[in-house]
Amino acid sequence: MKPKTGDFNRAAASALADADVQRNMRGLYDGFHMARERAAEATPNWEDLRDRARAVKAHTIEYLDHYLGMAAENVERAGGKVFFAKDADEASRYILDLAAARGVKTVIKSKSMLSEEMGLNARLEEAGVEPVETDLGEYLIQLRGETPYHIVAPALHLSKEQVADLLQEEIGGPRYERAEDLTAAAREQLRGKFFEADMGITGANFLVAETGTLVLVTNEGNGRMCTSMPKVHVAIMGMEKVVPSMEDMGMFLRLLIRSATGQRLSSYVTLVNGVRRDDDVDGPEEFHLVVVDNGRSKMLADPALREALYCLRCGACLNACPVYRKVGGHSYGWVYSGPIGAVVSPMLTSLPDAKDLPYASSLCGACREVCPVRIDIPRMLLHMRSDLAEGGPHSGSPRASLAERLTMKAWRLAVARPWMLRLANRLARLAQRPLVKDGRLRKLPPPLSAWTRHRTFPAVASRPFRDRWRSELRKSRRDG
Amino acid sequence: MADRQAFMASIRRALGRDAPGASVQPPSETALSLDPADLDARARAAANDASERSDELMDALARSAASAGWKVARVSTLEEAAGYIRSAALDVEAKTVVRSAHELLDSMGIDAALANVGIRAETMTAGDESGREALRETAFHAEMGVTGADYAIAETGSVALLARAEVSRLVALLPPAHVAVVERAIVLPSLDELFTLRRGAFYDGNLGSYMNIITGPSRSADIEQTLVTGVHGPGEVHMVLLE
Ligand code: SF4
Repeated sequence: MKPKTGDFNRAAASALADADVQRNMRGLYDGFHMARERAAEATPNWEDLRDRARAVKAHTIEYLDHYLGMAAENVERAGGKVFFAKDADEASRYILDLAAARGVKTVIKSKSMLSEEMGLNARLEEAGVEPVETDLGEYLIQLRGETPYHIVAPALHLSKEQVADLLQEEIGGPRYERAEDLTAAAREQLRGKFFEADMGITGANFLVAETGTLVLVTNEGNGRMCTSMPKVHVAIMGMEKVVPSMEDMGMFLRLLIRSATGQRLSSYVTLVNGVRRDDDVDGPEEFHLVVVDNGRSKMLADPALREALYCLRCGACLNACPVYRKVGGHSYGWVYSGPIGAVVSPMLTSLPDAKDLPYASSLCGACREVCPVRIDIPRMLLHMRSDLAEGGPHSGSPRASLAERLTMKAWRLAVARPWMLRLANRLARLAQRPLVKDGRLRKLPPPLSAWTRHRTFPAVASRPFRDRWRSELRKSRRDG
Repeated sequence: MADRQAFMASIRRALGRDAPGASVQPPSETALSLDPADLDARARAAANDASERSDELMDALARSAASAGWKVARVSTLEEAAGYIRSAALDVEAKTVVRSAHELLDSMGIDAALANVGIRAETMTAGDESGREALRETAFHAEMGVTGADYAIAETGSVALLARAEVSRLVALLPPAHVAVVERAIVLPSLDELFTLRRGAFYDGNLGSYMNIITGPSRSADIEQTLVTGVHGPGEVHMVLLE
């Protein structure tokens, strides 16, 4: 999926004007967000868990090579194969080669954000392999040819009516109305595929380094299908997903799941250790783990952005974000959306092409408040803004625009010299005269016009604060 | 191997190191800092603690399981358990029930109990390739799957099932209804004890290939955030607590 991250403003405006989208997003706060609040409240030592998990992630990322090495050895010991891919293309090619070598025609897939990031389905199709998304929401957006709307709920933006139309067109038969019937129809459609498929592809929520255990968290049961039915299981994983110990899993599962949906545990937590053993009743004969960088090392290399790699992809920051809840997932223009998407998408694609994303936030801090590993997203957004403004390493340009530099220089000059500030004040008061109404500026000339498109700006006061302060001071001395 | 070396080198470059971390000291926050040599003792302490508090844990499990969407039945004898399973199978008008080879199920005479009411019980055990195919077909069409459990977790209302020689991954997955029979002795207080025991299993060399922690029915809220049960896994789940 080609990133359209440069289109935020236009896409956001159209989402805001779309009554359907606004209606479908309405439940997000009362649903997921409040469920998280209640679950956090009910979990003993929740705040300590967050501190601990953050410390563990920080340590693991600091020694990522060490833990990935440990994990890979243990996966191999359990009969699995591990491939390290520097980018999406290498990872996709490994999977395509494997599919070709095993004569794979159909692949069943369990929801994976990384697969979306890689555009894996398109690659499989090009190679004549049929990819079937089996998570219900993911199946729906695959039919629509869209990217996920939300990390946890990919089809959040679709109404029942849209789903009904979509499924009727795909499957034929009657047009169902209720969510139960629509789900049942999709289930029937997908059930045969689980038997047909020669390969199952899943993502990874965690990889335990100590034991080489892949951990998958799902609710529908398709993840279990993908890891049990086909002969070959391929797991794709962003390199940051490794955690040190099996005994850390209690902490991480509580934090991830309760932050995501507020459930005490998801319906299924599946732990995979390599291939089926000789005397197992069933299970795949081959297990491949593909570890992917694909731009993550850019975040690793910048100490100010490194903590973006602690992310558990729980989606809590999306649900808490007043901007996401209005503009919706597709405004962010790529696979990842919401506050964490505004950090990760520009880094995994290109910051200059995604200039608006660091600004797609009011920096209110709600995301940081809910993040189970306390990722400071507002700080990172500011870091990216200043990188862009000052021509930093991610900005792709040697330095900021001339106009911006001159403005800043003039500003620095003026505020350091009282007489200049006074003069500027006086000039502004004169210049604003035709524009002021009821003490507000309603329409500023370009380039300031963007500010007043949706709001007003306070007019420069007729008496500067400095003057008022002085006279108040005098008055109170006199009276006192 | 070349892929791995290049990958690790680029990570180290990003981290500003040119050699592998000489001696990585896991901080106290990760359990990796806890010596695996103490694992046995800790696991045993956890199990002992659980057995001392077993009344309390059974009650807690019954509550959390019910709120996770299990139908919970508390029974005091094996016959009662078999009777419950039989009536649950009759309720879903089962013709075929697949089951795991858990000993507990053998000892309650489940096959006979079902046969008495005309329901075929099929045990899923390891076999050759063609036997496996046939078993899959059977499980696909069965109306109910019955298993024991390896652990149950009071905190979350879950059962944990290990895949191994006697236990197929599919019994608790393919049929639309699942019954799990839980004995008092396997109930653990929380996820933490479960993972301590699993870590111990790893160091004992018998982690096995697979574990599923099951918490309630298969569910989705992907259509307008409306909760629907029974997507790809069982929509109806029963937990039979054997006192
Ligand atoms: S940044 Fe934090 S809150 Fe947002 S998805 Fe990642 S872990 Fe969850």
